[in-house]
Amino acid sequence: MLDESRIGDLLDGGPKPVVPKHKRRLRVWLPILIIAAALGFLIAKGLGNSLVYFRTVDEALAMKATLGTTTFRLEGVVKPHTVTTNSTGGVDFQLLGQDGRTIAIVDTANPPELFQPNLPVVLVGHFQGNHFLSDQIMVKHSANYIAAHPNRVATVNGKKL
Amino acid sequence: MTSTLVRKAVGVTSLVLVAATVVMGLFVTPPDVVQGNLARLLYVHPPVAWVAYLAYGVTSIASGLYLWRPTRSLKWDRIAVASAEVGVVFTGLTLVTGSIWGRPAWGVWWTWDARLTTTAILFVLYLGYLALRRIPLSPAVRAKRSAVAALIAFIDVPIVHESVVWWRTLHQGATVATLGANTKVHGIMAWTLLLGFIAFTMVYIWMAMLRYRVETMTAELEETQLEAWEAERLAESATGDEAIGRLLDQGPEVQADQGAVRR
Repeated sequence: MLDESRIGDLLDGGPKPVVPKHKRRLRVWLPILIIAAALGFLIAKGLGNSLVYFRTVDEALAMKATLGTTTFRLEGVVKPHTVTTNSTGGVDFQLLGQDGRTIAIVDTANPPELFQPNLPVVLVGHFQGNHFLSDQIMVKHSANYIAAHPNRVATVNGKKL
Repeated sequence: MTSTLVRKAVGVTSLVLVAATVVMGLFVTPPDVVQGNLARLLYVHPPVAWVAYLAYGVTSIASGLYLWRPTRSLKWDRIAVASAEVGVVFTGLTLVTGSIWGRPAWGVWWTWDARLTTTAILFVLYLGYLALRRIPLSPAVRAKRSAVAALIAFIDVPIVHESVVWWRTLHQGATVATLGANTKVHGIMAWTLLLGFIAFTMVYIWMAMLRYRVETMTAELEETQLEAWEAERLAESATGDEAIGRLLDQGPEVQADQGAVRR
């Protein structure tokens, strides 16, 4: 009958200091327990946040009374010609829904680099009176990739295509 | 010898293709009309994500072939683990490159939307698969349990891919899967994206081949060492038998001597 610990010694290149059995078990099971805990955490966070990641402008307006001052994510398109800088360093603008209705946004945080009119955004905040007070803007870019200057695409040697 | 040459050829090809992707992505392709130079991550992020899917696909097929009795062989188990390890590396890269892209584009490093969350779950599931393999078991039992775990973990792959369709996400919808429909990628950008896919797929093949070789060598070494150990035990046993035999032959004299010594 082969002794497993002896085989282990041979495979690892010779005898090593004897590690107590409970420590050996811990070395094997601790990473598995940590991974299981991480998995549980991710699933819990996912279920809590991902299933309804944001509400659209139309949904938010319909649910305004129910939502009250609860913090949630709001999605819509930045309406052109409505963006102005406010005193907090953030921006004020109108958020456009699919049916053409809008919500007035007061943002208190610096918008990200890509923030611009006509782009969809997701805001984190809550209703305050007639406007939505946001403390975070996330830009939702599309899956389209179009050259900024399609007629001036350069090759490696600098010539135009 | 042949396999070494193939590995080297795959390695050199993958490095050349990655270098070509870098040159095309950084110097030849134009910036995007909305994202500007940020869009250059397009040539890295989707290809590494694709490679992760591919790696887990290979792991699942190899695991299935191990579990199916007519094809059961530890070779499939070695392919499964080699591919899974490369897959974990590429899933990690997917998360990192996505985060680097997300900070300037979205404004956040991380958000709990469905695509990001399911990708993180995928990463942890396959880390769990690799941790499971560290439990000391016989190779056959370990291979069987790991194969079942790999097949269960793979359920998350289509969920990750479809997450942008099934749920509302901050992450953009699929670009490659919908090319030709309503999605547009400018000509040279699309070609560079394709080059990125080929380059990183070659890198995956190279890494998986190397990892498989290491697994095979480890298995061969274990076998050789076990044989050596068994031979050593047999020799010890034979020496012991001879000594016992000599003792039995000498019998009464030795016993008398020993008795004298004791006295």
